Amino acid sequence: MQGMIVIHKSFIASFAVVATLVLSLGLFARPAFAAVPAEQYITDNIQKGLTILNNTQLSKEQRKTEFQGFLLGVTDINLIARYTLGQYRRSAAPEDLTAFDAAFKDYAMAVYQSYFSKYSGQALKVTGSYTLGADETVVKAVTVDPKKPGAKPFEVNFRVLSTGSRQVVVDFSVEGVWIRELERNDFTSYLGQHNGDVKALITMLKAKAAQSK
Amino acid sequence: MLRLTACASGAKTGSNAATSWGGEMRKLTFLALTGLLAAGCAAGPEARDPYEATNRTIFDFNLTADRLALRPTAEHYNATVPEWARDGVHNALDTWQQPVVFVNDVLQGAPSRAKETALRFLTNTTLGVGGLVDVASRIGIAGHDEDFGQTLAVWGAPEGPYLMLPLLGPSSPRDAAGLGVDIALDPTNYIRVKRHVFWWGVHFYGTVLDARSRNIDALDGIERDSLDFYATVRSLYWQHRASEIRNGMPEPAEPSVTE
Repeated sequence: MQGMIVIHKSFIASFAVVATLVLSLGLFARPAFAAVPAEQYITDNIQKGLTILNNTQLSKEQRKTEFQGFLLGVTDINLIARYTLGQYRRSAAPEDLTAFDAAFKDYAMAVYQSYFSKYSGQALKVTGSYTLGADETVVKAVTVDPKKPGAKPFEVNFRVLSTGSRQVVVDFSVEGVWIRELERNDFTSYLGQHNGDVKALITMLKAKAAQSK
Repeated sequence: MLRLTACASGAKTGSNAATSWGGEMRKLTFLALTGLLAAGCAAGPEARDPYEATNRTIFDFNLTADRLALRPTAEHYNATVPEWARDGVHNALDTWQQPVVFVNDVLQGAPSRAKETALRFLTNTTLGVGGLVDVASRIGIAGHDEDFGQTLAVWGAPEGPYLMLPLLGPSSPRDAAGLGVDIALDPTNYIRVKRHVFWWGVHFYGTVLDARSRNIDALDGIERDSLDFYATVRSLYWQHRASEIRNGMPEPAEPSVTE
């Protein structure tokens, strides 16, 4: 019953969001209940991800490996990587960029995997979405902890990029904090403190990835 | 200059007129949001954090104070007080914050949110045994946070530079001023029984301890995964604050591909 109220209120909220976009961007309002491909994509993949995390038939190491493979399949990790370099992307040498892509991938997989595995006991319910430009959609979801039904749910959003027929996640946020933005601030600040030395950044990323394993 | 400030601070543009609420505020907020959507945001962290060197020193001091005092207390609190009791404390603190939230809802010209806050306060203080039980959430009145720093943002005050305050943590001139007003609004300041007890201090310390005890793992993870913890905390603060001010509404779009 409480879940229905939360979802109902969230639909009202997301409809208000869409209505505001109509006023400010002059787009046609999309009815809140229409099947949005990005929402379906996220719903399906939340299910897939949670199934892997909760698979007790696999060992902890196997679960980790499988979940990381799953994450790589649903995200565009290179796009995320390039975003996090910020203005240093333009000045970096091509071989450094390649090495950075590989180091970032390992780092991100280790970090995101350990983050999501903490929430394996909970459910994530998609509550709506809104568009950001022609090919990006933000899908809104809330956490639902079955052990604590009265606890305040928090909002987890996914930024989905559609390229042709393929959809990928390029960012996610928790309570309004986007991970890609967080990482960009982190990395560019580190680079700023180290004279833009991308090699030093790569070394640190490798160390952090090893730490999270 | 105005655009840079508005961009960098994520604050609402528009006139400084705080003479009327309600419709005027909504109009200004809507115009500001449109302005932000149209203008985009290009100012980097350096422009928003001109006192970075000093802030980093204070941040290191705060981390030391945390490691020596606050964190061990929070860990001890988690270890010795059972979860149901800690939840009770958390609920009571939240309930007794509702009057401040209510005043700020009204000041921001948000009557439906003010109504939700009032309902939440009344429900939890009566049915919730003086606020110990969060009955309101169970019946769908989830509640929200508001403070005078957010009210100042809605009224059009620019955020100002990033400030790392000793012991209080990340802030800005706007938020620091807001905190001052919220302290004055706090009803625990006006408790007249047992006047030798510093009730406001109890409230403040309790709030800090409650929050710290609930974020130990999350902050540990963030620190472990950061290359520059100071920069990560700063970005966390900016993003979370901007989201709070927008009341969770969508933010201006940034391109997915870097510049």
